[in-house]
Amino acid sequence: MLWKNTYNEFVKILAKPRSYIGLAALTLLILIILFAMKADGRMYISFVTASFEQTLSFNGNILNGNLIAFIVLQMLIVHIPLLVALVTGDLLSGEAAMGTLRMLLTKPISRSQVVYSKLIAAAVYTLILVVWMGFLALIVGRWVFGTGDLIVLNSDGLVILNYADILWRYGLAFLVAYLALMTIATLSIAFSAFADNSIGPIVSTMAVIILFTIIGSLDVSVFDYIKPWLFTTHMASWRSFFNDPVPWKAIWESVWILLAHNVVFVSLAIFQFKRKDITS
Amino acid sequence: MNQEPIIEIKGLQKQFGSFTAVKDVSFTVRKGDVFGFLGPNGAGKSTTMRCMLSLIKPNAGQIHIFGKNLFEFRNEILTQVGSIVEKPDFYKYLSARKNLEIFARISGTAVSTKTINETLDFVGLSGRDRDKVGGFSHGMRQRLGIAQTLLHQPELIILDEPTTGLDPQGIIEVRDLILRLKNEQNKTVILSSHQLAEIEHVANRMVIINKGKTIIEGSVSELMNAQETLLSIELQERSQDAFEFLQKQFSALKVEVISPKTLEMNVERNMIPAVNAALVNAGFAVVALEPKRTLEDFFIQMTQS
Repeated sequence: MLWKNTYNEFVKILAKPRSYIGLAALTLLILIILFAMKADGRMYISFVTASFEQTLSFNGNILNGNLIAFIVLQMLIVHIPLLVALVTGDLLSGEAAMGTLRMLLTKPISRSQVVYSKLIAAAVYTLILVVWMGFLALIVGRWVFGTGDLIVLNSDGLVILNYADILWRYGLAFLVAYLALMTIATLSIAFSAFADNSIGPIVSTMAVIILFTIIGSLDVSVFDYIKPWLFTTHMASWRSFFNDPVPWKAIWESVWILLAHNVVFVSLAIFQFKRKDITS
Repeated sequence: MNQEPIIEIKGLQKQFGSFTAVKDVSFTVRKGDVFGFLGPNGAGKSTTMRCMLSLIKPNAGQIHIFGKNLFEFRNEILTQVGSIVEKPDFYKYLSARKNLEIFARISGTAVSTKTINETLDFVGLSGRDRDKVGGFSHGMRQRLGIAQTLLHQPELIILDEPTTGLDPQGIIEVRDLILRLKNEQNKTVILSSHQLAEIEHVANRMVIINKGKTIIEGSVSELMNAQETLLSIELQERSQDAFEFLQKQFSALKVEVISPKTLEMNVERNMIPAVNAALVNAGFAVVALEPKRTLEDFFIQMTQS
């Protein structure tokens, strides 16, 4: 029954216009970034490298597909949660709002299976978003701008990565970014289990992200104890793959914390959904 | 009539916070019954129906369906149940056919395309099956809801206000459908409706609940026959003679002349054939006998007392 309902979820997601908003918005945003970089990328790069030009000489194709993919990831990872929540926040509560949840739950399928099937559908949808982003940023970026060494400016300074040493970093970076987005998906599903309208869970998810991000960025000692446990702190862990050496311990910590959040959010969704009286 | 109980509800209670929606509802539905479920707005009908489908968990009481505890054997039981609760809602962005396919897939029974076609045809939607439900009228959605209920050939059918929004022809079709389900397939049907005449036409047993409590349960005909009704008697002529005759024959009953051709008398429903026979045997030309006490009167009396 789980797989039959999961199949149903895919049918519904494919037929829903809002499912394509994310993909369309992502495509448009990345194409705008690619166009902007093609038109004015040299100036953007020289602005970043200006402070190092007295000590370093930059040769070769600095503005390449690898750098474009990094810029795209950095710019969009903040916005993609909204696109994910737009679909996943609606999965349970949207059915309640439409009245179809009542129809669905009079069928011989357990409530846990309903949540799991929606979770699987959300995971696949989020994966498609990440893969599509990867394709546009990395593959199209390389096709338009060519390849070359990747120059990354992070808190420790400038990191230069050989072009042959980059693809695996992107592979793992997208994987961790996917896990971070799944945390958003499971959070919005958990909110969705409490609500009977479509907008509430989407707005609540974004509110939590904004709140946690603000707490994470406040340099106040009272928050120092909770900052490492906030999932938003680990949303940008994918960036760590572009450090040299790669801080594996910190990345694994982030992965475990994100996984733990996923488990907690899914458990919360199942707990609430199982005890919920369907009055809609 | 087979006496095997299909649904047994005992002492059902449900509270939402401090509000008690259902205080003490008990009734039994037997195999092959078309069971009328009556009650005024806010009586607890919807909550009880939702409890019967495990949409709402009761605070107390027992629900046994097909002899099994609903909350222990939920999936097994729901495989044999088809239902519409309140109103049928569908995925508006999908076609009628896709909607049926979605619900058929999780019905617990293999439903073939042929069955879907036949069901769509049965409810008169076969020409609109590729259209999105968003463009359907309320009546069409109601028909689709009934199709969804019947797809997997359930033993028990629970219909909450199934004729709401239907035109008179649609109401007659649903009524015929319910009778066919009972007579041809021996299905058990629970029917809640505000169209009390509808219940009177199709139900053989009923329960009335009010303020979250069972008021009365039993056979529709027995409950109705045991009640005194106002009988309107239309004659071709001589209503005054008929009045005198009836006063002699049924001295305990109150008779009144309404017009030269019409009389009214208070009589128990099961005595109506005897009144008719007496009048005919005495040579009066009886045009019509119309019991004016309907289920509606009975319902109002029960819920207001």
